[in-house]
Amino acid sequence: MPRKRSLLVVDDESSVLLTLRMILEKEGYDVITAESCAEALGLLDNGGNFDAVITDLNMEREDIGLEVARAAQQVKPKPVVMIITGFASMDNSRAALELGVDYMAHKPMETAVLLSALHRLLAKRRDSGERV
Amino acid sequence: MSPKTIATRPTRMALVVHPEMGVLSGFQSALTEQGFVTIIARELATALLAITQHYFDVALVSSALVEGGDGWPLAGVLHLVFPQAFVAVVSPTEPDVLTLQAAINYGVREIFDQTKPASQVVNSIVAQLKPAQSAGKSKVQ
Repeated sequence: MPRKRSLLVVDDESSVLLTLRMILEKEGYDVITAESCAEALGLLDNGGNFDAVITDLNMEREDIGLEVARAAQQVKPKPVVMIITGFASMDNSRAALELGVDYMAHKPMETAVLLSALHRLLAKRRDSGERV
Repeated sequence: MSPKTIATRPTRMALVVHPEMGVLSGFQSALTEQGFVTIIARELATALLAITQHYFDVALVSSALVEGGDGWPLAGVLHLVFPQAFVAVVSPTEPDVLTLQAAINYGVREIFDQTKPASQVVNSIVAQLKPAQSAGKSKVQ
C-alpha cells in the first residue's frame, strides 16, 4: 500500500488550520498542524519528515513564516514549500523568491487552485527523485 | 610519451527567447563570452523546437513574447523540462508583487530589468550557477 504523503500546515488561525486539514485529509494526505512558527520549527528540527510544508507568513510577527520556509529548505529531502498569505509585499515576495519557495499565493484562494498546485509540485518532486 | 592533462569544460548551453533581435544579440554575445553555446529564439515555436533538441543549463526568457506576460508559461515549461537549469525572466517593467509571485510559481530563479546591460545580467547568472556547473573538469590523455 503506498505511503500517505505527509504535510505540515502552519497558520496561527485555528479556523484556517481546521479547514485546510479537512480539505487535505479528504484528498488523502496525512496532515500535521502547527499554530505558530516556533511550533513548526520544533517539528522540523525534530526530524519531521514532510513531503510539503504549507505556511502562513504573519504569525507571531510579520513575515515570520519565512523562517518556516527557510528551515524547511534545509531539510533533506527537501519538502515542497508553499506560502499562503493575506499580506504579500514586495519585501516578503522577494525574500520568498530568493529562498527558493516553490509556490506563493494570496488568501483567500480557491481550494481547487491550492490542490492543483500541491498535486503538481508533489508529482514533480517525486519524478525528480528528490524523495525516492 | 608522458600523459598530459588537458582541462576540458563541458559545453554549457543557454537558451535566450526574446522578440527583439537587438536584445537577443546582446545576450548571445555576453553568454558566448562566458563560454556558453547559445541558442536564440524570437518566438514560441522556435523556442519549443530548441527545447526538444538541446539540454539547457541557462534559459533567459522575455516576459512578453507577443503580448505582456506570455513569456511566463514558457519559463515554467523550461523549469519543468530542465529542473537544474537557471531559468530567468527579462521584464520590460519594474517587478511588482504579482510579478514576483509569478516568478516563484513558475520556478523562475530571477527577474532582470530589460534595461540592465546584457553583460551584467549574464555575470549575475554565472555567479549564481552552482560551482559544479561552472567548474572545469580535467582528464588524462
